[in-house]
Order: sequence, then C-alpha cells, then structure tokens
Amino acid sequence: MLASMLKRVAVCALTAVCVVSCAKQNKQPFYSTGVVYCSESNPVTFNPQLDTSSTTSDATSHQLYDRLLDFDPDSGRIVPSLASSWLVSDDGLTYAFQLRRDVEFHNTDYFTPSRNFNASDVLFSINRWRLPTHPFHNVSNGSYPYFESLGLADNIANVERVNGYRVEITLKRRDSSFLANLATDFSVILSQEYGSQLFKEGNPSQIDQLPVGTGPYKFESFRKDSYIKYLHHENYWRRDINAGVNALTENIDEGIEGNTEDNTKDNNEELGVANADTSVKQLIFDITPRSSLRLAKLMTGECDATAFPAQTELEVIRNREDLTLAEKPGLNIGFWAFNTQRAPFDNPNVRRALAIAIDKNTLLEAVYFDSASRAKSLLPAASWAYQNDADDTAYNPVLARRLLAEAGIEPGFSMTIWAMPVERAYNPNAMKMAELIQRYLREVGVEANIVTYDWKTFRRHLQEGLHDSVLIGWSADNGDPDNFYRPLLSCGAIPSGTNRAMWCDKDYDRLINEALKTEDLDKRRAIYHQVNRLMFERLPLVPIAHAYRYQAYRNEVKGMTINPFGGVRFGGVEKVL
Amino acid sequence: MPQFSLYEEEFHPSPWQRTWRAFRASHIAMAGAVLLAIFVIFAIFAPLLTPYGANEQNIDGLLVPPSWMGNGSISHLFGTDSLGRDLFTRVIYGCRITLGSAFITVVIAMLIGVSLGAFAGMLRGVRSSIANHFPDALMAIPTLLIAIIIVAIFGTGLVNSMWAITLALIPQFVHHTRSLVRSEMKKDYIVASKLDGANKWQLFTYSILPNMTEMLVVQGTIALSIAVIDIAALGFLNLGAQSPLPELGAILSDGLDVTYLAPWNVALPGMTIFLLVLSINVVGDGLRSALRKRVNH
Amino acid sequence: MIRILARYSILFVLTLLVLAVMSFSLAYLFPGDVLANLTGIVPANDEQRAALEKQFRLDRSYLVQFFYYMGDLFSGEWGYSFTSGIPLREEIGIAMPATIELATYSMLMALVIGIPLGYYAGMRCYSSSDYIINTTSITTYSFPVFWFALLLILVFSLQLDKAPLSGRISLLFDVEPVSGFILIDILLSDLENKRLAFKDAMSHLTLPTIAIGAISTASIVRITRRSVIDAKNQPYIAAAMSRGLSGGQIFFRHILRNALLPILPLMAIQITTLITNTMIVETLFSWPGIGNWLIQAIYQRDYPALRVGMLAVSSLVIMLTITVDMFNRLIDPSREKYEHAAI
Repeated sequence: MLASMLKRVAVCALTAVCVVSCAKQNKQPFYSTGVVYCSESNPVTFNPQLDTSSTTSDATSHQLYDRLLDFDPDSGRIVPSLASSWLVSDDGLTYAFQLRRDVEFHNTDYFTPSRNFNASDVLFSINRWRLPTHPFHNVSNGSYPYFESLGLADNIANVERVNGYRVEITLKRRDSSFLANLATDFSVILSQEYGSQLFKEGNPSQIDQLPVGTGPYKFESFRKDSYIKYLHHENYWRRDINAGVNALTENIDEGIEGNTEDNTKDNNEELGVANADTSVKQLIFDITPRSSLRLAKLMTGECDATAFPAQTELEVIRNREDLTLAEKPGLNIGFWAFNTQRAPFDNPNVRRALAIAIDKNTLLEAVYFDSASRAKSLLPAASWAYQNDADDTAYNPVLARRLLAEAGIEPGFSMTIWAMPVERAYNPNAMKMAELIQRYLREVGVEANIVTYDWKTFRRHLQEGLHDSVLIGWSADNGDPDNFYRPLLSCGAIPSGTNRAMWCDKDYDRLINEALKTEDLDKRRAIYHQVNRLMFERLPLVPIAHAYRYQAYRNEVKGMTINPFGGVRFGGVEKVL
Repeated sequence: MPQFSLYEEEFHPSPWQRTWRAFRASHIAMAGAVLLAIFVIFAIFAPLLTPYGANEQNIDGLLVPPSWMGNGSISHLFGTDSLGRDLFTRVIYGCRITLGSAFITVVIAMLIGVSLGAFAGMLRGVRSSIANHFPDALMAIPTLLIAIIIVAIFGTGLVNSMWAITLALIPQFVHHTRSLVRSEMKKDYIVASKLDGANKWQLFTYSILPNMTEMLVVQGTIALSIAVIDIAALGFLNLGAQSPLPELGAILSDGLDVTYLAPWNVALPGMTIFLLVLSINVVGDGLRSALRKRVNH
Repeated sequence: MIRILARYSILFVLTLLVLAVMSFSLAYLFPGDVLANLTGIVPANDEQRAALEKQFRLDRSYLVQFFYYMGDLFSGEWGYSFTSGIPLREEIGIAMPATIELATYSMLMALVIGIPLGYYAGMRCYSSSDYIINTTSITTYSFPVFWFALLLILVFSLQLDKAPLSGRISLLFDVEPVSGFILIDILLSDLENKRLAFKDAMSHLTLPTIAIGAISTASIVRITRRSVIDAKNQPYIAAAMSRGLSGGQIFFRHILRNALLPILPLMAIQITTLITNTMIVETLFSWPGIGNWLIQAIYQRDYPALRVGMLAVSSLVIMLTITVDMFNRLIDPSREKYEHAAI
C-alpha cells in the first residue's frame, strides 16, 4: 500500500514538472517582438573602425551605425546613405557630399543628443582615423587596421566642412576605389557631440564601449561570452522616410484606388527598410562559439538566425522545412601562400612545382564539401573584374617532381605548412587541408610539417615571416578588385601584415596602381587581367577556393538579405509567427 | 549452522574464496565482471585487435556510417569520423587510454592515500585532529575545480588531468585508511603484537595491512569508476587529453561537431564510457555485497 | 552544543584560511605577471605598475601581501577579469546564484524521488521491484553526466522539440536580477508577461535539472535503500515484530526515522558530486553559472577569474559540507564523525 502510494507521488511529481514546462511556447506573440541572432564570437569593440574582424563589424556596423554611402546588396552599386548625393570633380581628386537632414542619433541612458546629424560628425569620424593629432586618435589603442592597410589616411589631403550639411574631401592621388571604401563596414559615422561630452567627462574610451550611432538599433547591454542586447531606434531616419512614403501613398490613396500597396512595397524594397511599424523591438546577439550548438539553437527556435553554419551542416539545414538557407558566392579567397623571402621559395619554379603537386579539386571536396568554387586568380566570380578564362594550375605530380629536381631540391626536403587555428568561410578547416596537402607533397618527395599556434601568436609569427608556407585567406570588405590585389600582395601590405607571401614585385605594384588611376571599368578590367597573368607566372600564392556565403534562418524571419560584402543587416528584419 | 558436520575440519575456504563464491552466485555481478574483462583485454591488446591505426586517416571514407546501418561498410565496424579515422579503432584505443590512465591514477592515489591515512591513524591529540579534518575539508573541493587549477598552472594534457584526479582521490583513501587503522588499533590482536614489542611500522605492515585489502579493493573500484568518468569528462571539456589522442571523452567531444550528420560519433564513444563505468560499478557492487554476505555469516 | 558549534566554526575558519592562502599563492603559481594575476589589471606603463605594486604591497614580504590580500577579499575588492574587465565580484555575484539555483532544484528532485524510492526498495529488499529499482539506479549512476545531458538534448530538444537547450530564460525577457534566482526574480519583477516568463524559465530549467538530478537520485536511492536495510536488520526491529506490530507500524515507528538519520551525513558527500555535475552540465546547456564561467575562464586563461572563482566555489562547497556535518552532529550526538558513502 505504502509502495503504491509512493509510486503515485513519484508519477504525480514527474507529470507536474512536465505539465508546467514541457509545453512548447515559442508561438506566443511576445516572441515575435525580438530577433535573436546566434553569433560566433564576442566583438572586440563596438566601433568597427578599430577592428577588421568580421565578428566586430557584423555586430556593430549595420546595426548601430550608418555610413555616408552603402552598397546595394544585389547589384553591388554604391547607393546613398547618410550622404544623399555626391559629386566628383573632373580631376577625380575632390569629392563633395551633400548630407541628409533630420537624421537622429540614439537617445540612450548615457547620452541624450541635442542636435541631429551634420557635417561635424562626418569630420569627427573621418579625422579620428585620419589625423594622428585628433584628440580621439589614440583612444582605444589608436589602431585603425582597415584604413592603414589601404594607406587611405595618407591619400586624403583634406576633409572640409562647407556648410552644416555639405562636406568636401580632397585626395592627393586619384583613387577609383575611394567611394567603395567609404561604403565599407568600417567607415561608420560616430557622433561628434557624444565625443566631446565624453572628452569633457575625461572618459573618451567609453565611445567605443558604449556606442552611439544613427543606425536602426541602439545599444542596450553587453555581457561577454553571452549576449549583446540592442533596442530598436524609434526615430531611425530610414523609417521616417518610409513613413513619409506611406503618408504620401495615403494621400494618393484618396485620389486613386488600388495599386498603392505595390507601390509601397516597391519603395520599401528599393530602400531596403522595414515598414513604419516594425514589430521587432529588440535585437539580440546570442554569442555561441560552437557551430553545432548554433545549429541546435536554430532548430529549437532559440535563435532566429545564425552566423556561419558549418559546411557539414548545410545539408541538415536544407532538409529542414522550418529553416531557410540563403547562399551567395562570397567575396573571399582561401589560398596557400609561400614565403617568397625564404629560400627555396623565392624561386618561382619551386613554387610552381609545389602548386601543381596538389589536386585542388580534392581539397574543395574534402574541406569545403563542395560549398566553394575553385579559385583561379584572387577575384571571385561575384566581382565585376572576374576573369573566367584566367590561367590555372593543373594537378601534375610528374612534372612537379621534375621541376623540383631541376631546382635542385633533393627528395626528402622538408618544409612547414602553417595552418590557421580558426575556422573562416574561406577556409573552414585549415588543419585538415594542411594534412591533405602534406599527403600530396609526400608523393613528390617533400616532407611537410604542419605548424599551428593560437590565433594571436599565429598572426604575430606570420608577420615576423617565420613560415615557409601558410594556409590562410581573405574576405573582402567591398566589391572593388583593389580590395583583393592591394592588401594581399602589394609591397606596402608586408608591414601591415596582410601580405602573407611577403611578396614585393615592382611590376605588380605598378599595374595595380595604374588600375586605380582610371574610372573606366573596361580599362581597369584589362589591367587586372594582366595582373592575373603575372601572378600565374610568378605564383606567389596558390589560390584555392572562393567559399559561398551562407546564412541560415528560421522561416518566421522575414527580410533577411544575404550580403556578399560581409556584414549581416537587421535593419529591415521582421518576425512573423 | 548445521547441527551435524562431519567434515568440518577438512575444508576451510579462505576468505577470498568465500568472497568469490558469493560473488559468483550473483549473475549480474558475473556479467559485469565478464564485460570488464573484455574491456581490460581490449585495453591491453589494443594494437593487436584493431584493424587500423588510431590516427590513420582515410580521405575517401569520411563519416562512413557503422556497419549495421544501411549504407555502412563492414570494413569500418563503427563507421568513421570526420577525418576518416576508424571509430572502432579509436574506441578500442580509447578504452586503453581512459581505463589505463584511470587505473594508474587510482594506484597512485591509493599508495599515497594509504600511507598518509595510516600515518594519520596512528597519531593522537591535536595533530591527529588536524590530520583528520583537513583531508575531509579538501575532499569537498570538486575534482573539476582541482583540474581547472592544475590546467591553469601546468597546461592541458592527459598527464596533468591524471594528477588532478589523483589529488582528488587521495582524501578518500586517507579517510578510509585512517578510520580503519584507528578501529583496528583498539583491537586485541594489535595489543598482543604491541606487547610482543612490535614497532608502529611492523604493526602496520604485518597486522593492519592484511586486514585492509578488502576495504582497498572496494574503495579501489569506487575510485576507478570515478576516475574513468572524470578523465573522460576532462577530455570532453578539452581540459584533459587533447584532440588527436584517442581518449574516450576527447573522441566524444570531437564528434559533437558532426552530431547531426554522424550521430554515431557521439553515441558510440559515450556508450563505451557508460558501459565501462557500469561494468566497474557492477563489479564493485557485487564485491561489496559478497563481502557483506561473508561477514554476516 | 556550544562546544560543537565552536569546534565547527574553528574548523570552518581554518579551512577558509587555507583556501585563502592557496588562492593567494595561485597568483604566484599561475604563468604570467603576478601583479596582473592578483589584480586583473594589466598596467599600461611603469608608473601605473609602480603605483599598483605599492597599492597591493608587492614590494613587501609575502606575509604583509597576504594580510592585505585578505583585507581586499573582505572588503569585496576581488580584482578584475582579464577578458571582460568587469569586477570579479559582480561576475561571481551573477554566476553563483545561477549554479546554486540549478543545484538546489536538482537536489530537491533527487530527495523527492530518491528517498521514497529508496525506502520502497529497502522495505522490499531482494524482491523483484527492489531488483528493478536497484538495477536502474546503478545504471543511472554509471552515466557520465555530460553524455546523459547530451542524450537529453538530442532527444527532448532536437528530436521532440519539447524544451530549449540553452540559457536560463529566453534572452527576450529582461529580468532584473535581485536575488539571482531566476524564478524568484521573475516573481519579484514587474514584467508585463510574468506568467510567460515563468513558464519560459521553467522550460529552460527542466532538462539541466533532470540531467543532474537523475544521477543524484540514483545515489540517494542507493544510500537510502542501504540505510533502510541496515535499520531493518537491527535487533529492535526483531523485537518489535515479536511484539506483534504490523508492517506499517514497524515502518512508521521504527524504520522511518532511524533510517533517515544516516542518510543526512552521506548527503554531505553528495554535495561535492552535485556541484561538479552542475558545473559540467552548465557548459552543455550554456547555463550562465559558475561552472560555465570558470571553464570559459580557463579556456581564455583568465587567471584572476580562476583565482577568485576557485576560492568562491570551494568556500561554498566546504561551507555546505561543514554545515550539514555540524547539523548532523547536533541532531545525533552519538556519532563521532560522518561516515563515508558506500553506494
């Protein structure tokens, strides 16, 4: 009797626990008021000027800030943003920007703006990274890697305020990629008023920790390794414009019946913005480093969208009806770079021999699981300067052995392959790729040792040039070809630490500089094709793959666009349960 | 007691024989013992029993399902992992590493714990009180915490995690040895030895130690199951054995990344740890009840 | 009684002192800069370094340093985390209650299910139902907790989609931490949708609680069963039976309380296992507790965090253990000391 009583108690307790908690409740309307994005890591700072990692710019650039210009996600054209229009002088050296009025900064616990966006904010934001004498230049370590690697600060002669809503930038040399650089994730506009308030308080570094911008969301709180919370910016300017459009269409409504809904929709799509009454009140970045856990959370609905689904998981996402997998060829390249300042890798024939000793197709299959296209030159197909018929190395171990013998490399020669310790879209598993290459090289009598360190040390040692060869890659920040050619292989990129081949070639530098001097796209394209030819002959690195960009999200989320230029955007996202 | 026992003098099974008989009578305990024996054989003869090398990769056979699944192949009994390594081979080597290092850990902990415990048990007064209380208090510190600190000081690695677990196991042996020594010291046969002029060392080695073996065996099995779980847990958390080393927890942790594609990479190593611990626990349990039966008779 | 209290408080204080010494020496044992390990502040220049060294008396003897270290500990100056730069006391203040909450519910689950089952099995010992309970408990007890938690996630979260798998509550809810216990905080808060928040928090709690609780339950069942069997074999039970008491009377008058007494000290040992399991399970369920926090700290080599975290967790565990032990001594003076678990 006692036993059965006990049993009943146990059963009751279990069912009670289950009744309270087992019911699935993600369908409650409350859950549509916020979007949760599972991101892969902590942002280093809340100011993307200071850091080139995609984690930082994803979390901040398009959420908190706006730029003077934007890229259209579909065509890659440069479109107006905070600058409503611009003019380029005939000599290509002076750029005049007309700024948008009535753009409000975030009103937060720590800052109440007294004025709207104007020219002084543009000056403040650009001069911060441009002028070493600027009061904020040395705040938060004073390093602006993106602008430094492009030498942009040196090329700007002057940034001038013409009037409250007009700014003129003068360059020293022509630079046809200048506008593109102003549209990248890193060229965000900060608030000058907030800056001077902090300066007065003697706490300038707060500007990068508690950010203020004009973007669609404002900062609420950040807990390292767990979450970032953003609230929506009630007076976001794009929303106002949209409201204006709605008001306009309502007026038209009175006169003409019908057809108006389509109009609004078109307008919305064109501007890439949400409806005036957006239902998303919160944007949350749930920081989840493990990609399998991100997928799991996406499946259970704890995340609405996730960053970087692993290549192995794509099939799983495709097979689920409640999930969407968006894919687009990405602007990136994974490559195998030789340290051309070390013997025997200073010999182009040795580099060629090693390049043809490996079978790129196998690497694509085993490492990228076919979620990448084979790379021939530095540029992916998404770029306008892509050369479809570029020369490519072919797998030929016999020739490789002969070339090595001719170069005087004895069988049993040993070299190092450095494999980066982190996963990136352009190379999801460098370790595995290194092991595969090791096997190929063994067949041509070269003994490869794989070297890896933690990411920070790895990059430091690379910069010191301690490697023989390295598996690494590059994600472009804008669609301009110069964004590939210059940082990866120009002489100037050796000290800034993006030229992993340590390659400095006069002809190459001359060609890529020449390409910037013309605005004519066909002429530029022809020059870049010449560059490709040169690269194929001298082979400082072996291009391996251009990975696709993926974004996985739940079907409830509407308005997610995948952006080949990197950076997620939640400005126009809605959640419909 | 039988009323009439003619052959009483002829056969006296030794205490161990009697324990063995009681143990054998329990089918569950025997099943556990057989399972454990299989694991031990696997662990010892791993290189002979496995068809591949533990870190041998096969690029053409990534994530092959286990042989009993539709598209599995018999050449990989448990399938392969994301680098094309044979999972059966890795699990067998995993038994070797996990069980082997757990065993070494327990033996070291036992040696240190028993010496300290015997020493503490023979002390008196304030010193005894200190020697008694501190191990108890230290025993309360979770193994994971000790492991984290050791990893922070010396870095990750299987050997460091073994030290951490050894440290965590020692207080148990100290405690049991001490209470046993203290209760034995009050018994008559010890007094007799003392009167014969035995010194403390002789008392311990000749009189107390033989009476301790059973306690040690039982405590040893408990400690072994704890050690196996802890080594695997530390490997799983990347604080112990590091990835290419086929330690069961580390294999499981590797498999996590391909859980959806290849669930066997999580299921099989986990199952192995579970069965290993279960067999140790069943044997330990069987031994304990066998001893209890013997003592009660 | 006062003597017992005094003895235990001395023991407690001494143990804490030893732990504090250990935590202090960790600053020297950990790799890297002692000053940084001790304070969590990496000095930017020599001037700042000199000032900090003076502030923490690094120029004086170890004894003086330790004295001031203790002072800092008591005044709540625990240093800063390397990685987040937030005062450690604040971080631990958030993480610790989360762990305690999870561990408490698991322990409650273990007691509510484990003790009745243990009594039942003990009363029916060597019957088939005892056999089933005993086998189930030894099986459950053999589960590595991380694998068990993974199985729960795979089945209940991913296959059946019944429960979420990470965190304490959906991040959309903004619960003000008052007590640190999420359920209490929700009740205290002025959220619009309290009921929804409460349900959400409960669903987040379910799986981790079961994962930790199941293994503790298995131990409790075995401890209770053993204790009941031992109590049943006492001579006074035989005496009671010979007096003609019914089974129920024997159970309620003689076994119930007498079997309960030895369980309590054995539970003290369970606390350590419980906290260890909680710490492991936290990492799997991304529970923002102290275990998850410490493991993140070790991955990132956040030495100040490890130094204080170790002190906080071990103090908590030892405080609980000693309290249970003392409580046991107070209600049962016949006992010399607590015994160790034989499960």
